[in-house]
Amino acid sequence: MAAGFGFPSADLASPDTLVLVHMVSIGWLSTAMCGALLQFVPVLVSRPLFAENWALPALVLLTAGLIALLCGFLALGGHLPLWLWLLPLGACLLIAGFGLIAADVVLTVQSAKSLDASARFVLVGMASLCVTVALGATFASQLAGYGGAAIDSVLESGVPLHAIAGLGGWLTLTAMGVSYRLLAMFMLSPDVDERQSRVTLFVGALTLCVAVVGGLVAIEAASGLGAVLLWAGVFGLATIALYGRDVIELYRKRKRRQLELNTQMAAYGFLSLLVAAVLGAVLAATGSFAPYAGAFAFLIAFGWLSGLVLAKLHKIVAFLTWLEAYGPVMGRAPMPRVQELVVEARAKKWFGAYFAAVWVATALLLAGEGTLFRVAALAMAVATGGIIHEFVRTRRLTDVAEPLRLPNGVTEPCLLHAR
Amino acid sequence: MTEHLTDRIRDALRVVIDPELGFNIVDLGFVYDIAVTNGEACITMTATTRGCPAAVFLKEGVARAATVPGIRSVNVVMTFEPPWTPAMMTNEARTELGFANSN
Repeated sequence: MAAGFGFPSADLASPDTLVLVHMVSIGWLSTAMCGALLQFVPVLVSRPLFAENWALPALVLLTAGLIALLCGFLALGGHLPLWLWLLPLGACLLIAGFGLIAADVVLTVQSAKSLDASARFVLVGMASLCVTVALGATFASQLAGYGGAAIDSVLESGVPLHAIAGLGGWLTLTAMGVSYRLLAMFMLSPDVDERQSRVTLFVGALTLCVAVVGGLVAIEAASGLGAVLLWAGVFGLATIALYGRDVIELYRKRKRRQLELNTQMAAYGFLSLLVAAVLGAVLAATGSFAPYAGAFAFLIAFGWLSGLVLAKLHKIVAFLTWLEAYGPVMGRAPMPRVQELVVEARAKKWFGAYFAAVWVATALLLAGEGTLFRVAALAMAVATGGIIHEFVRTRRLTDVAEPLRLPNGVTEPCLLHAR
Repeated sequence: MTEHLTDRIRDALRVVIDPELGFNIVDLGFVYDIAVTNGEACITMTATTRGCPAAVFLKEGVARAATVPGIRSVNVVMTFEPPWTPAMMTNEARTELGFANSN
């Protein structure tokens, strides 16, 4: 984006933008979410993961599938020879990768005696993932010329359904579900009332049903997506309002009065979701959603989803590193607290810079300032680099003071994988 | 003698900290009961959240730390009944961690 590749320098539907969108939505957000689910679903249902050894094959399949898909889009944009068969190949590999993750998660959840709100959100998120991948695979085949005339109309007008199922269903509903439990755990808040969160989930699931099922019916009937998207927007706003009520309750009823950095920064992610909802409503009400759809999706992807994931990673990387390094020797010697693996004051500056850059970039997209947007995108990249550097320091125990850093029996964790 | 051993185990368990809260598990109120019979200790304890990934390490850490002189074997029972609440913390821990006083 900072280099001027894809949107907004290119059209929203251009192959270059498709490269960007899928790099972010699959390479970053979906992969991070899959990793979070493999780690977190056992906590949600108090059951071990159905098959831990499916994680690596899934990662390999997702990575290979993404590379093939991106190369296919680059071919479509004329940057590579016209190897369009890469698109369905990438789709097949992604189906296999996401299929492994979905099967692992669903079979784990299925073994639970009872399901709480978070687990139900995750199941709806999984269903949305299947819909997203199915629509994406259809588009990939069609773009490669294997689809046939029957699904031409789906490709022509069904892209918003793919985006809603992916960003709204799979990523947003799953993030919402996981956040219920993470916020309660990290702030020691009582769980949100079960009936209350079920209503939020019901309205969220209804939004997706209206958008996807209604959308496909509308495409089949050639009646246009306007009415369907309007109703989906209304239900989507209601979902965000209900979720906002639940999140405010979690923050308000917390036992831990001093907020850690992860919960402070997550609040900026929630704020981004709220702003995106208001922005979407205003744009729709004024009949100008289509020209600003890119800015809206940008705020959802980078303010809400990426912001929340980065904020939670700040805690989760430290927590898992602590367990890996110090867990096996617990009880033998004094050891640092999880909080001593991070320097919140330093990380806070990077997070502040990240959210500021995202919000400025969104404003510049709305203002049609493509060149200045690239400067803001560069600032986002620098801030993200700073946050990643903090994660690396955490993995290497760099900020843990001696003599607590490496007591007898403790070795420095590997950077990218757990021993 | 048994009471003395129980106190000694309780003191020894202060080396085990909850990684999330960053405080020792005794003052956090995680240790529900310590019973010693013929050199065998049975410790009933909890964690903040059911399914917490740290629970296994906490249990192992307690078993290691509780093996003080006079104790031959340690059995650790993890329970979530009653569920832990911040009201189970000592005043010192609550103040140190900045917790609200209510349940």
